[in-house]
Amino acid sequence: MEQIVFGIGITALTGALATIAGSAEDTESNIGSQGDPNSQVQLAPQMGFVHRIFNKAIAGEPPAYGLWCALGAGLAWAFMAMQINAVLAIVLGCVLAVLVQGVYATTAYLGRTASLAKFGQPVYVDILKSMTSVTMAHAFIAIFCTVTLCHLINGALGHPFPLPLLGLIWGIALGAAGSATGNPYYGKERQYQNQKFGAGVPISASGNIVRYAEAGERNSLDNGWFTAKIGGSASGVCFGLIVFLEIWRTILFEKISAGWGAIIVGILMILIFTVIDRYIEVWARKNYGPYTEAKVAS
Amino acid sequence: MSAVAAKPQAGGAMNPTAMAVGVVMLLIILALCWYVSPGAGLMALVGVIIGGVLIGFGTHFVPVGGAPAAMGQAPGIATGVAMLAAGAGLAGLFGGAWAAEQGLVVATITGGVGGGLMMAITCMMVNFVYVFGMGIPAASGKVLYDPITGDSQKEFKSQGTEGHGLPFVSFVGGVIGGFLAGAGGTIIYLQLLSLYEATLPAVMGLPPAQVIPIAVAAAGMFAVGLFLVNAVLTAYNITGTIEGPHDPKFKRWPRAIVASAVASALCGFVAILIVAI
Repeated sequence: MEQIVFGIGITALTGALATIAGSAEDTESNIGSQGDPNSQVQLAPQMGFVHRIFNKAIAGEPPAYGLWCALGAGLAWAFMAMQINAVLAIVLGCVLAVLVQGVYATTAYLGRTASLAKFGQPVYVDILKSMTSVTMAHAFIAIFCTVTLCHLINGALGHPFPLPLLGLIWGIALGAAGSATGNPYYGKERQYQNQKFGAGVPISASGNIVRYAEAGERNSLDNGWFTAKIGGSASGVCFGLIVFLEIWRTILFEKISAGWGAIIVGILMILIFTVIDRYIEVWARKNYGPYTEAKVAS
Repeated sequence: MSAVAAKPQAGGAMNPTAMAVGVVMLLIILALCWYVSPGAGLMALVGVIIGGVLIGFGTHFVPVGGAPAAMGQAPGIATGVAMLAAGAGLAGLFGGAWAAEQGLVVATITGGVGGGLMMAITCMMVNFVYVFGMGIPAASGKVLYDPITGDSQKEFKSQGTEGHGLPFVSFVGGVIGGFLAGAGGTIIYLQLLSLYEATLPAVMGLPPAQVIPIAVAAAGMFAVGLFLVNAVLTAYNITGTIEGPHDPKFKRWPRAIVASAVASALCGFVAILIVAI
């Protein structure tokens, strides 16, 4: 019984850490335009819309976070092997991983933006100075939370994978969940705030991103502030649910019927999410209605 | 016609000669493995190939819209197909590896359910953001009616787009894709783990208890690597985006099966060589 209660406590903690990690990851990637909306940030100057948006997208979010989390976890693991306290080891490992992220962000912004010189897009040094440190701060939160939850899974819950491998796996999953959930909100709702609400961006409007804020020109800190409210929160909930439910069903139900208990609970949860998804889809169709009248086939 | 609206013309056709060459290459690699390690090595390689094929096939189900989906210009999840499939599959591998002691069948299904659960949560949250964050209903750009629910799609596409969000068939496709990818990755991990646990003590001259962490880490790394190999191969096959099983591009899966089998065989052969030589 004590073992189960301990497991549930650790599971809750990993879920909370994953929620924070997901939220910080999406906000970091939005400030850096690292998700798929980077295509519009890159396209805008080519269409004549010079901007002050940060753009460090030279890799997708999943492989980038796979690298940074594996790096943080690997370094933390090495420090722990040197008999350094686990908390200090994780912090040191994540700090070093974030330094790599900072180098990545700097070179990526300079490289991507310099390639647009022929379209008149300047490299703003003040943008580089102010945005890079903010992305590094958010990246530290995301990497630290992910490495910590990996350490808990490995050390407290006894998962067989070593810490660096867990860092790679959950780093990639973090990037996948964050980019899947958060990208549309940044891409459609923020970059194209000048388009109609409640409709996709017409393909003809591609590249015409919003470049001006309430006062002066918009920069990526404004985008991070905006997307943190829904896109970031939703990404956090998404990754938190993935980590929490995956571990929860294993901890509580794996012992039932030689592993089949966890499988049945997993299938039940998939069915529950299927019903919720269908409800959301039908709710939208009923409440928002069609864009055009349906044509009855003759 | 825009790049988004353009239908892929080349790339959809099957090339019988290339597929035959692929099958011959597969047989050659199997023969080489039989020559180097006829017992456990060959069995492990067959397991790796089956796992790789499941990952490659499963990735075809995952609804991925790429960059256009991020602007609500096309349906699907707004990220890369290889990355999303790898994320789902690796979440499944995490669960499958945890259940490794329960046997091949239970661990494989556990891995599959883990991948399916990750995709179910992600797909649900994608629709949540589209509907409640952006006020956009789901609509497919490839079919007039959802094959599962029968819901009409055309009038729910906003002007100037190819559709947006995840219609129900795409959600179901995502769950199936996550299940297959998670199960495939777990099979690869378990096959390599059993091979390494059996052979590494003799190769390294260490007691079995000491090689287990090395065996787990090596098998896990190869499983992650094979995930990415097969997911990227499928991403090429579907030219980056797909709506799910109802998308015409889904019919290209036989070609990806052959490619995944050959690539998995080659990678698996290398994984076996490190203990067979």
